[in-house]
Amino acid sequence: MERVRGGDRVAFERLYDAYHRLVYGVALRMLGDVSSAEDVTQSVFLTLWSAPERYRTGNFAAWIARVTRNRALDLLRARASHPVDGEVPATLPEDDVLEDVAAAHLDAERVRAALARLPAEQREPIELGFFAGITHQEIAKRTGVPLGTIKTRIRAGLRKLRDALEKAVTA
Amino acid sequence: MSGHDEFLDDVAVYALGAMSEAEAARIRTHIAQCATCRAEYEALLAPVSALALSAEACTTGERGPQVSPLLKRRIMRSVEASVSPVSRARAARGSVLPAYLVAAASLVLALLSGIADIALQGRLHATQQRLAAITERDEALLRDVALQRHMVADLMDPHAERIPVHGGEVVVHGTRIYLAMNHMPQPPKGKVYQTWTLPKGAKAMVPSVRFVPDRSGVAVVALPADARRLAAVAVSIEPPGGSKEPTSAPVLEARLIE
Repeated sequence: MERVRGGDRVAFERLYDAYHRLVYGVALRMLGDVSSAEDVTQSVFLTLWSAPERYRTGNFAAWIARVTRNRALDLLRARASHPVDGEVPATLPEDDVLEDVAAAHLDAERVRAALARLPAEQREPIELGFFAGITHQEIAKRTGVPLGTIKTRIRAGLRKLRDALEKAVTA
Repeated sequence: MSGHDEFLDDVAVYALGAMSEAEAARIRTHIAQCATCRAEYEALLAPVSALALSAEACTTGERGPQVSPLLKRRIMRSVEASVSPVSRARAARGSVLPAYLVAAASLVLALLSGIADIALQGRLHATQQRLAAITERDEALLRDVALQRHMVADLMDPHAERIPVHGGEVVVHGTRIYLAMNHMPQPPKGKVYQTWTLPKGAKAMVPSVRFVPDRSGVAVVALPADARRLAAVAVSIEPPGGSKEPTSAPVLEARLIE
């Protein structure tokens, strides 16, 4: 990133090569169409190029994934088709991301495997909350599960996922 | 379950990013004051960050969603387009063009290069559905280009009204109004600049667009308001999500010419 801050296009290209699948994947999962996912990917990387100071510290993958998610939420908010009763959740601060370098050893396969081992009743609200761009109230409405139960399941599922990922990193 | 356990559940929902703005603000305030909830929030950042990895697109040869190589070309061409004119402008000391105008022109070039790539995609992916999507995006890009051309023309027009402000100027051209900054410092960490407009006869400022200048302090902001109906514009430093009313003293203010 230091070289990108200095306007090094080769360094920027390497960053793109390393992280474009993550950015595009998150955008595609959230928005559901190739065209919008490409637009978000382009927007995230061009913002990174024009304002690299927005990344300050911490795990870069976590940071760029959060920026992507926030950008996709902005797009969902702008879409007239998004349900009015399903308020799009708040975007989260970009700087408030993971500092843990151990997470850099995680890969998509390990995370998918850990997610797959969660009970469906915990995995479903977690995936809806992260990728569907809806609030926990909307999750409760869609799944027919009481709001308090949804919140408890999200917390229990995230803690279980954290434990599984810690084991995967140290294994 | 204790009351605080319920708060911890809310912290998990907040960490996941599945809360409305109002609830998120409440939890943010609580986390800042409660060590237990702060620790819980930080502990959940790792699994939430890892969730994004689960959506990573596939590499070539794998089954699943893949990224078009044309996307990289489009992005790199935009990068090239954004660099070259600015570099030339920096090299040409004494140029009459202000930095913000060079940046605006490079944005037009970037958009045009995007259109060229989309035309290529149309040839390669000759399905009707894809063509329809490309056409739709072409039209959106063309609209963007038209807007950017208007902007460049407005900013270059010698008849435009120019109100000097610290680090740049406010440019008024007919009904359109721009904030064109050449030397603007970066906002403090975790903050952005937010523009405000004061309609004629009104007492309170109306929130408008937020922005961050580029590394060289350049920013061109088109304000979404009818310039003829405005009495003043201002800029203040605000949180990234913006504010409904200014929370800090304005860093610049401009009274518009009657």
